[in-house]
Amino acid sequence: MKNLLQSELRKLVYLRANWLLLLWSGLFAALGTVAPIFVLNSENNRMGFSGTTTPEGINAVFANAAGGYLFALIMGILVMTNEYRHGTAVGTFLVTPKRSTVLYAKLIAAAFAGLVVQIFSYVMAVSSGFIALNFFEPHAPVPMELLWKVFRASVLSGLVLGIVGVGLGALVKNQVAAVTGAVIWTLIVEGLVVAFVESVGKYLPAGAITGLVDVDFGKNDFNFSIANYLTPGPAILVLLAYAAAFSILAMRTTLRRDLD
Amino acid sequence: MSSSTIEFRDLSKQYKDVLAVSNFNAQILSGRVTGFLGPNGAGKSTALRCLLGLVNPTSGEALINGGPYSALHDPIKKVGAVLDSRGFHPGLTAMQNLKVMASASGIDFGRIAEVLKVVDLEGATNKRTKGFSLGMKQRLSLAIAMLGDPEILILDEPANGLDPIGIVWLREFLQKLASEGRTILVSSHQLAEMQNTVDDVLIINKGVLVAQGTIDEIRQGKSLEEAFLDLTLRRSA
Repeated sequence: MKNLLQSELRKLVYLRANWLLLLWSGLFAALGTVAPIFVLNSENNRMGFSGTTTPEGINAVFANAAGGYLFALIMGILVMTNEYRHGTAVGTFLVTPKRSTVLYAKLIAAAFAGLVVQIFSYVMAVSSGFIALNFFEPHAPVPMELLWKVFRASVLSGLVLGIVGVGLGALVKNQVAAVTGAVIWTLIVEGLVVAFVESVGKYLPAGAITGLVDVDFGKNDFNFSIANYLTPGPAILVLLAYAAAFSILAMRTTLRRDLD
Repeated sequence: MSSSTIEFRDLSKQYKDVLAVSNFNAQILSGRVTGFLGPNGAGKSTALRCLLGLVNPTSGEALINGGPYSALHDPIKKVGAVLDSRGFHPGLTAMQNLKVMASASGIDFGRIAEVLKVVDLEGATNKRTKGFSLGMKQRLSLAIAMLGDPEILILDEPANGLDPIGIVWLREFLQKLASEGRTILVSSHQLAEMQNTVDDVLIINKGVLVAQGTIDEIRQGKSLEEAFLDLTLRRSA
């Protein structure tokens, strides 16, 4: 297992595409905190969120620092689908015929990769947010508790979404289809459901992450209230359930499949 | 007499409407080079994939040293396989691809330079494999197969896409491996090459074994190509 894990980590480190993805995740997350600062402080703010002179406005900005989880999901998908896309699955399973062992190594590697993506995104987002806030003095203070809550959500979402990505990759196999589906789901479908059908959305990964972040944005035009989402405890359980479900999915699909 | 290293016992594989391999029985003797011949779609690759545990047989079994591939301890150190000219990531260099495989099986990285030398790829060590020619890819596949210094080599169409120089190189490479006493099972369409290289021959057609024996028994004084055509096309016509 140790050897296999080292091999998986080498694949992650050697591939330039992974470094590019990490960079994109940081830029995406940074945009997620910087853009709201400018929007909330513009004279034409029609979103209904408070400006950054209020604690709710600061919450609305820094809650986005956990928003790079899409890239953790993509990283997990790549960990699995690269094997099929480039035919390396044959070599991998020849070295380790016990496929469950390979899957365990991939799940751990993907969780680690997701964690790295989310920590990097968080650092980029928070530091960019602080820099951007300098242009809009005075602003409300940024409490450590807020940063801690978002960091907690970043770490857990990175671990879980990396694992979910492996499960998706094992199920779909086609890399383009899996990544495209993940992007459409995360950025459009899930976003709309979480925002407008909270009774369902709170149980989706993005909804559970929102619950785990656990900060309120104040009154706004979207009628967003954190009270409509899961509290951090149940949100963690929901995310762990997704990790478990997709791990089982990865196992069941990969263990039985013929490699032609 | 040589003992049996690889054995197919009543092996069958059904894909939906296609019976790829049907009650296939054969034995590969240790220390010999066996050519696995058959027309396209005859079931060669399916049989080899069943042997390597990549495809689940519908019935029967394929054994290496008396057991399934999955039961081998450190399989890459006992069996090296080339199944196609992919098998490595195009975004990685030859060295990185070999490190990934070596680290997965706990093989010392010092072995990488040795196998790159064996397959004449020393000059392309740090080149990304997406820039490799087909011949270079085949050589890298062979290098990966040789990483564990295995006693048994299973090669599926290793000459596919090779130019004449590559084919000559492959012939000499296989002869060198054979002279070291390794067991080699090689499928190929290059019948003239096979005639000069193999000790034994297996011929499969439409999933069924049609002939097995030493090269002389199969040829019966004819060229291997003539014998092959007699046993496949003309017999099934």
